Amino acid sequence: MAEWNAYFRNEADGEGQEEGEQQDGDYKVSGRDCLVFLVDASKEMFIKGENGEPTNFDMTMQVVRTVYTRKIISTPGDLVALVFYGTKQNQDPTNSFKHVYVYHNLSELSAKRVQQVDELRGDKGALLAAEKMGSDQTSLSDALWCCANLYRDCNLRLGNKRLFIFTCKDQPHGGDSAKDRQARTKASDLRETGVVIELMHLMKAGGFDVSLFFRDVVSPPEDESELGLQHEPCEKLEDLQRRVLAKEQKKRTLARLNLCLGEGINIAVGMYAMAVTTRKPNAIRLYRETNEPVRSKTRTFNNQTGSLLLPSDIKKAQVYGGKQIVMEKDEVDAIKKFHDPGLFLMGFKIMEKLKLHHHIRPAVFLYPEEGEVKGNARCEHGCKHQVLYIICFSSTGSSCLFSALLTKCIEKNVFALCRCVSRRNYPPRFVALVPQQEQTDEKNVQITPPGFNVIYLPYADDLRNLDPPRTPSASPAQVDKMKEIVRKMRFKYRSEAFENPVIQQHYRNLEALALDMTAPEDIEDLIMPKVEQIDGRLGSLVQEFKDLVYPADYNPEYKPAGKRKAAEAGGTAEKKAKVEVSEDEVRAHIQKGTLGKMTVPMLKEACKQFGIRTTGTKKQELMDALIDKLAT
Amino acid sequence: MSKSKSFHVLCMDVGLSMSNSAPGEESPFELAKQVIQKFVQRQVFAELKDELALVLFGTDSTNNPLAEDGQYQNITVHRNLMLPDFGLLEEIENQVHPENQQADWLDALVVCMDLLQTGIKGKRYDGLNIYFLSDLSVEADSEQLDVIVENLKQADITLQFFLPFSAEDESMDEADNERRGGPGARGSGKGLSKEQKTGLEMVKHIMLCLDEQDGLDQIYTLRNGIEGLCMFKHIERRPMAWPCQLTIGSALPIRIVGYKAVTEEKLKKTWLTVDAQSNERDHVKRETVFCLDDDDETEVQKDDIVQGFCYGSDIVPFSKVDQEQMKYTHDGKCFAVLGFTNQNLVPRHSFMGTQAIKIFAPSGDQHAGVALSALVRALDELKMVAIVRYAYDRRTNPQVGAAFPCIKLDYECLIYVQLPFMEDLRHFTYASLNSKKFSPSDTQLQAVDSLIDSMMLMEKDEDGDLKDLVKVHRIPNPEFQRLFQCLHHRAVSPGTALPPMEPWLAAVLDRPDVIEERCRAPLQEVKKAFPLKVVEKKKQLKTSEQIFGKDSEQPDAKKAKGDTAEEELEEEYNLADISEGSVTSVGSVNPARDFRILIKQNTLPFQGACEQLTHRIDQLLGNKNTQYYMKSITCIQAFREQSVKLGKANLYNSYLQSLKGSITNRGLEVFWDLIVQASISLISQDEVEGSSVSKNEAAQFLLAEGKNEEPVATMEDDTGDVDDLLDNM
Repeated sequence: MAEWNAYFRNEADGEGQEEGEQQDGDYKVSGRDCLVFLVDASKEMFIKGENGEPTNFDMTMQVVRTVYTRKIISTPGDLVALVFYGTKQNQDPTNSFKHVYVYHNLSELSAKRVQQVDELRGDKGALLAAEKMGSDQTSLSDALWCCANLYRDCNLRLGNKRLFIFTCKDQPHGGDSAKDRQARTKASDLRETGVVIELMHLMKAGGFDVSLFFRDVVSPPEDESELGLQHEPCEKLEDLQRRVLAKEQKKRTLARLNLCLGEGINIAVGMYAMAVTTRKPNAIRLYRETNEPVRSKTRTFNNQTGSLLLPSDIKKAQVYGGKQIVMEKDEVDAIKKFHDPGLFLMGFKIMEKLKLHHHIRPAVFLYPEEGEVKGNARCEHGCKHQVLYIICFSSTGSSCLFSALLTKCIEKNVFALCRCVSRRNYPPRFVALVPQQEQTDEKNVQITPPGFNVIYLPYADDLRNLDPPRTPSASPAQVDKMKEIVRKMRFKYRSEAFENPVIQQHYRNLEALALDMTAPEDIEDLIMPKVEQIDGRLGSLVQEFKDLVYPADYNPEYKPAGKRKAAEAGGTAEKKAKVEVSEDEVRAHIQKGTLGKMTVPMLKEACKQFGIRTTGTKKQELMDALIDKLAT
Repeated sequence: MSKSKSFHVLCMDVGLSMSNSAPGEESPFELAKQVIQKFVQRQVFAELKDELALVLFGTDSTNNPLAEDGQYQNITVHRNLMLPDFGLLEEIENQVHPENQQADWLDALVVCMDLLQTGIKGKRYDGLNIYFLSDLSVEADSEQLDVIVENLKQADITLQFFLPFSAEDESMDEADNERRGGPGARGSGKGLSKEQKTGLEMVKHIMLCLDEQDGLDQIYTLRNGIEGLCMFKHIERRPMAWPCQLTIGSALPIRIVGYKAVTEEKLKKTWLTVDAQSNERDHVKRETVFCLDDDDETEVQKDDIVQGFCYGSDIVPFSKVDQEQMKYTHDGKCFAVLGFTNQNLVPRHSFMGTQAIKIFAPSGDQHAGVALSALVRALDELKMVAIVRYAYDRRTNPQVGAAFPCIKLDYECLIYVQLPFMEDLRHFTYASLNSKKFSPSDTQLQAVDSLIDSMMLMEKDEDGDLKDLVKVHRIPNPEFQRLFQCLHHRAVSPGTALPPMEPWLAAVLDRPDVIEERCRAPLQEVKKAFPLKVVEKKKQLKTSEQIFGKDSEQPDAKKAKGDTAEEELEEEYNLADISEGSVTSVGSVNPARDFRILIKQNTLPFQGACEQLTHRIDQLLGNKNTQYYMKSITCIQAFREQSVKLGKANLYNSYLQSLKGSITNRGLEVFWDLIVQASISLISQDEVEGSSVSKNEAAQFLLAEGKNEEPVATMEDDTGDVDDLLDNM
């Protein structure tokens, strides 16, 4: 038992020290990510659908809220702003733009903000909106300018900057070419400063024509040959949500590596984590009086002399076979070094050779390194933190080879076996590069990207020898009955469908505390089986199946403890037999004072025989009880 | 439950004949000693509770419990059954020498059996093993042979022989195939003395009596032994049963038992920190103090610290007690089916967690077995999986996961793996690779095609069976192997440098020779078909710092402090903000910022500010140094940005044009390349209405110059500086 527990306790504590490799790559190096929601709040956004469908504005707020709460959990350091344009009232830090309303300035998210977004939703929101918003005057140029100011006035070092425009008007200025031109200029200014502008266009009667205006506003797609804007406008909340979420996070590499096919043939690739276990965040320490965070300082010193120990005063040791073996710190590092970082191709294997249960870690994704060939000079707001990225290699050739490799691996149904050293001084792991074809949905939104999934393979040490119990197989009739059950409970699995109840509860609790709510919002435990529904659906099938497999006197609801006994039936039965003790024997022992020679189970059995009720399990307690009883 | 253990007796012939060898070859004694050393090493590092004894025979002296009346002479129990340690290794190294007597090897075997039988009295044991190393060159008294065999059988002792020669051609071939690439055994059956031949017959007789089928497989050559033992033992963990019920709805439970089948094994021991002088662990003391984040770093007592969490930018105090009370709770142990879905909806790469669990029916429970089998088979035939809620127990977090059907020849089971939660997913989109830019030509595809064919790791052997050349799950974790090798080296020869990696380990981590040979030509084809430029990596000093820093100390403290680099920058910027008010002219420290502030404050006419800025740029450019070039570029960018913002393009455009004109005179080619790379061009009509430059002209402006030069080459020369600059910031 100990082993399972130990493992899970680690997980429950959420201290993923071992997860170093799975952390978000170079997040720290590149500054804070910012996201500005620029939402059209003109009259058209508030038109209700025919069948009482939510307004475009309502839908947008729903998405904004989702992003807010998600970001608080997954990337709390990101900066987010919410700006409306086409409003009646205006509000911005400089008060210089008409019809622009900065609802949330660019900063970290908080519980308050989530609440404020909630206020804009539903009927209450509609009222509020009618008062402040829903103008027919729009100047996208002013709105963009205002956003540019938000970026500029932010005192933090900014990383990736995104701007999402939500609108259902393909001609925001109603065809006023001067205003259109101004807006385009402003947009290009923003793009110039490294802001990526995405359009989240919503449904409107008569369709949304991107080419009328917005094509020149948004950032060109990453892939130049693709027009990128063939997306249909979003009609449903899910579509919009999916689209926003897909663009919302900046891709970050875990590692940039070379995939080496052989001497001098290297493909520059990036490794991406597509799924990272979200854990409850670590607690922070606060000073009781003021609730301000405290820092910790750790010192290492020699307790003989009291002097501080520098790294050079320390060595590392392990004890084996009764002997302490000492090494220098750099020797410890050197032992772990086998190869330089990179992926080295060993060869190829047919897909069937990849065993399902050979699973030790979540997979990562491999895609050619997007070294945009053009020198990309990004000017941040302040010159002091000017970061100039000049990437000096052309990756077209290696992307092409990557693409060829992918195509051929899919065609031949093979995977590539590679030796992988993901970082310096990491021992090698073998990985399977499993090809994945690009898939898009009917709206042309990417569902699976093209590239290789990297599956980590276990070493011999990682496999455990099991001794599978021999049990009989089911008959075709039994299998068929089970098939009926399975078919009744069929559903379409989507990985987004299940929220982690532990994490959700934790954040609801925090939310409640932060907002002084009396009780946290209830969460729905989505990974709880819907027992009633299942029972209803299966109906009589369950009983029919049970009649087929279980005899009448069989009770499958045995307590687990009993189960284990059954599992070791042979051994236990024998032991039980031994436990029988005769009264004479016990008396003899007591007389001779040799009661201690009897084992605990024997003593217990003896207690039972003499009708002694004992709560204790300690040997001495049992012995005392027996002596008390039989001595009289 | 106390784990039971195994008992091993190593029995080695150190008699006269063991030292005989052909010139240039290692004597049987040397080989046997190596086998023993390797074996003990493995035991020491595996840290099992197994006990081990060493019996030597052919010794000059006699020391064993059975020795009386001239019986059992020249047999020495060097070490009785106990846990192996480094002391034993040292003794083997220093005290086991070839000696000058001979002893009856059957007698020695009897001594070993006796040792085991007395040693295990009253102890629980898993297995009793005798490893027998001898050249069998002394005629043994075969009278007792049957009694000995009977005793071995009764005591359930397994026996392995390690001989200097092979027992039989056919049987050895098989054994050889097992260990890949093992050099053949020496002279099989040839050149054996009469004693050895009869000895061998007796050995075979014993082994066949013990195990009719595979008995002969337990006779190894000494060389085989060394190869077989060269790797350190795999970590073996006892699988722990997890009894539970699989439930479908409320009315259909099936009793199951789960076993962890695959998980990344870690070493139990970690590095201790010891004082470099004394090598004492107790001398190193670590102390953590807490302090406020103020100027004085006021220290805070541990009792005055409460726990809190971040909710976005909010810091929420949340005591452990409250947290415990409010946290998500559940009913504990659970393996409940939520529903069934198609297997293809649960792709391999979506697996989460760090383990695969195999789910069986409890052994002995036939009905559960049948019920589970029905489920496994139904899922297998329908190509579906069960999506389940899994919770190990009440204290651990529940998971969602998939249970796949698995049907093997001798058993059926479900394989459970964890699946992601919504919170875990990252939604990234990647550009399609089908675009023209990346699409490979037919020749290129052909080259890759033949490369794959040449590198298939599946080989047909003589029998036509497919053989896997690299079985990863048979390779021992190289990290452990190397660590043990180094630890062992340090323990037995302190003061010397660590040895290189063992050749066999290096070999299994590399491409098999056959493949290496076969793919050479196709690789050349690929190289020709795809012109690849040398990829120069950006220097990532930071990353390596993180790596080195990681091991050192206090990762937690660091985390709490956040990114220090970032903080520094923030601080600097705030300072800049404070001093913002006093900017009256474009200074030389941060001209671009000054310029922006001046424009923003509107204290100076636009033209005046521009003149100040261009003056600074020209000053900076006089220095001909990358660092100043970078600064100039930021200035020009600021110039452009502000000009566009205010809709005044002419000043900027004319300055840039004049700058371009003076490049050659002023020797600023390198600088111009940077401008081109950063695509800082003229302001076109599209951006500012008043501009006299068309979009096309603006684009051409940079291109025209680029053609004469070799921007790529220059760029590469410069990168070092650029990166250094980045690192300095």
